[in-house]
Amino acid sequence: MSALASGDFWAFVGVVAGIYTILALGLQLQFGFAGLLNFGQVAFMAIGAYTMAILVVKEGWSTWLAAPLGVLVAGAAGLLLGLPALRLRSDYFAIVTIAFSEIVRYVATNQGSLTGGSQGTIALGKVGEAAQYNGEWERFQERVQDWLGIASKDVAMLLIVWAAALVLLTLVWLAVRTPWGRVLRAIREDEDAAASLGKNVFAYKLQVLAIGSALAGVAGCFYAWQFSFFSPDDFQPLLTFFAWMIVILGGLGRVWTVPVGAAVFGFLFAGTRFLDFRPLSYLSGADRAYLRLVVIGLVIIVLVLVRPQGLLGKRDEMVLE
Amino acid sequence: MFWQLLANGLVTGSVIAIAAVGVSLVYGILRLVNFAYGDYMAFGALAAYELNGPLGLGIVVSVLFAMVATAVLSVALDLALWRPLRRRRAGFMSLFLASIGLALVLRQALLLAYGPQPRTYTVDPYKVYVVGSVRLSEAQFVTIVVAAVAIVFVGVLLSRSTVGRTMRALADDGALAGIAGVNVGRVIAYTWIVSGLLAGLAGVLAALIQTSFNPNFGFQLLLPVFAGVVLGGVGSAYGALAGGLVLGVAMELSTWPALWGGGVDPVYKPVVAFVVLIAALMVRPQGLFGRARFV
Amino acid sequence: MSAQLEVQGLVRTFDGVRAVDEATLDVQAGSITGLIGPNGAGKSTLFNCVSGFLRPQSGRVTLDGKRIDRRAPHRIARAGLVRTFQTPRTLARMTVLENVAVAAPRPRNAEARAAKLLELVRLGEHADALAGTLSGGQRKLLDLVRALMVGPRVLLLDEPMAGVSPTLRVELLDHILAVRERDGVTLLIVEHDLDFVMRASDRVIVMNEGRVIAQGTPDQVRTDERVVDAYLGARHE
Repeated sequence: MSALASGDFWAFVGVVAGIYTILALGLQLQFGFAGLLNFGQVAFMAIGAYTMAILVVKEGWSTWLAAPLGVLVAGAAGLLLGLPALRLRSDYFAIVTIAFSEIVRYVATNQGSLTGGSQGTIALGKVGEAAQYNGEWERFQERVQDWLGIASKDVAMLLIVWAAALVLLTLVWLAVRTPWGRVLRAIREDEDAAASLGKNVFAYKLQVLAIGSALAGVAGCFYAWQFSFFSPDDFQPLLTFFAWMIVILGGLGRVWTVPVGAAVFGFLFAGTRFLDFRPLSYLSGADRAYLRLVVIGLVIIVLVLVRPQGLLGKRDEMVLE
Repeated sequence: MFWQLLANGLVTGSVIAIAAVGVSLVYGILRLVNFAYGDYMAFGALAAYELNGPLGLGIVVSVLFAMVATAVLSVALDLALWRPLRRRRAGFMSLFLASIGLALVLRQALLLAYGPQPRTYTVDPYKVYVVGSVRLSEAQFVTIVVAAVAIVFVGVLLSRSTVGRTMRALADDGALAGIAGVNVGRVIAYTWIVSGLLAGLAGVLAALIQTSFNPNFGFQLLLPVFAGVVLGGVGSAYGALAGGLVLGVAMELSTWPALWGGGVDPVYKPVVAFVVLIAALMVRPQGLFGRARFV
Repeated sequence: MSAQLEVQGLVRTFDGVRAVDEATLDVQAGSITGLIGPNGAGKSTLFNCVSGFLRPQSGRVTLDGKRIDRRAPHRIARAGLVRTFQTPRTLARMTVLENVAVAAPRPRNAEARAAKLLELVRLGEHADALAGTLSGGQRKLLDLVRALMVGPRVLLLDEPMAGVSPTLRVELLDHILAVRERDGVTLLIVEHDLDFVMRASDRVIVMNEGRVIAQGTPDQVRTDERVVDAYLGARHE
């Protein structure tokens, strides 16, 4: 139980919640505001992370140039995906995004020369060398720690991530209150009505897809920095589903419920770590990991049954759509 | 080489097709996209393993057991989860979320019970059936025969039997069917039973042709299956059959060395499935047998 | 007066059946033109083709001399032809004010202009209510106002009276007439309420089985034998 009291552990949970906030924010914009069924969000996260890592390790770029480019590439990927895919019916679009997500993971796993393959970013550099992309970032983190007088790396990371998350949340919040955001909501309500009013629905969807995937790219960079190493297996579809959960449970179409949903989710996920009382402590560590996910699954199901509108949403949005 | 790949494709394709029909029935009649379906299949595969491995029973018995077990699971889950959600008039989003939660629960429960290590059925790996220039392993041969029988059976069930016709009526127009005196509750039960039987069968067959499998393989299977459903046209069970077969064949034939570029690296086969799907949707957005949508 | 909206030889098939079969008609600028015909005559399909929601197999549509067929619906709307739908397409989870404001082609002062339009049709008091809470007739009115907000030169109304209570119909009729008077908008209206059509229209076009079988003043059309036949012996007063 000593882990429960450890500040570092909860700081870590907070960092993960912050990363998920940014990832889910992109999804909220795409689905919550514009009605796009993007089930491939994790792919854009991977694209952002890999682009950054590859540029730093292979091309010797500075992290401060590589990361923004990673975000841009992630956004561009959204744009390129959207060009053909957004012409499809919404459920077909969903399938295409899943396909895209798997294709990205496949390429990452099998194009070893580009991405380090299944071994992950360690293999990005020369053979026999363990590649690191995190150098500049860690120095930055230390400077922040010194500046704020914090001893713990995790707490520093927590503050950085959440500072970024708050900036992004505010920007999105402002954006949806503009006439542009109003058109997005109109598209979500009734695309044909929006088109009949002269709105170029396709162009709006494309913009939202790109912005949402760029946000996923940001989440990817933070993920990369937090864990200092990643491989294609880090970007399973499960992460996309977690982001969906956060968006739905927090309530659709609202910006400030996303961090709440992410925090609850992070708490839930981390909290299930503490199932180490008897008789559960007789299970092996791996088994307890499975049990944790069973519990999370059950919690999701119970939540859907008991409160389909999520924690903060409105009932009529979820029931009988 | 070509005929061998074609045969392999039919084997893979028929497994995808069977699962795709199961998914399609549930979607058509219950308007539910069951993301846990891959895990129903994994359940079936493991159920068969229980009999075939530790107990050493023959593969045929194991398959039948797996089908029944998965059908039971399927009905039980309907009673425990899907029916309460229907009562609460749950919308698409709620159902989607619930099926994700269910997929999590099922898969992790299977991992908890069985662990992640791969398992194999006891099938003679050296027995080979030779037809012309095509060589089929016992697993592939069994799969093709069983799949063909199952496909014919399902086809007949849907078109001739009362059960089948009421199911299609409900899929076409639920409200109307209800008024016309169709026992909706019973049809829903049949849907889950048939879908469960198919899931169990597809799961075992998929595990059989893969030679080894672990509880995680459900989701990997699910994507080509969904692709098959969409390719065939959402809501059409026959379309799902066709879509699954087309994808299976396309996946295998894509590795043919005589193709431009030397054929696709076998690792990328699932990618081929998606590319085929996306290309097909661009040409015919409603899928092979789907109805064209107008405003 | 020149024809503002011209449809020539429009053909649209579904599964081999011609829902619109070489339809040719024209609408004069500043007029109110009624489009009538029995069920299945192809009126809605024609509307869909003209407004870009369906692609015709062949034929031309011109607006003020410029071709608009085969353009995307939003571009046709921007070109000055706006349509409403048979079932109200209310943006339910947005407020009434937002419903109208979003239709503005330019965002500047959109909300103020929207508020004024709502006042004109006496929906002002509902401005901040969620549009989903409005009654059927009010939603139809909202659709009309929203379409006006786009600033069209030609307005296609698809059964504006459908599902509207008799008392609200009178009000709706007044608003529609006012639209022509006040805004100079040309109106093409599909309606089953023949009473309304005969009273409000300058010209009436009659369709049957995908073709235009008569065009003329309400009186001319009323007594046209082909029209009477088309309605299978329904009597007009």
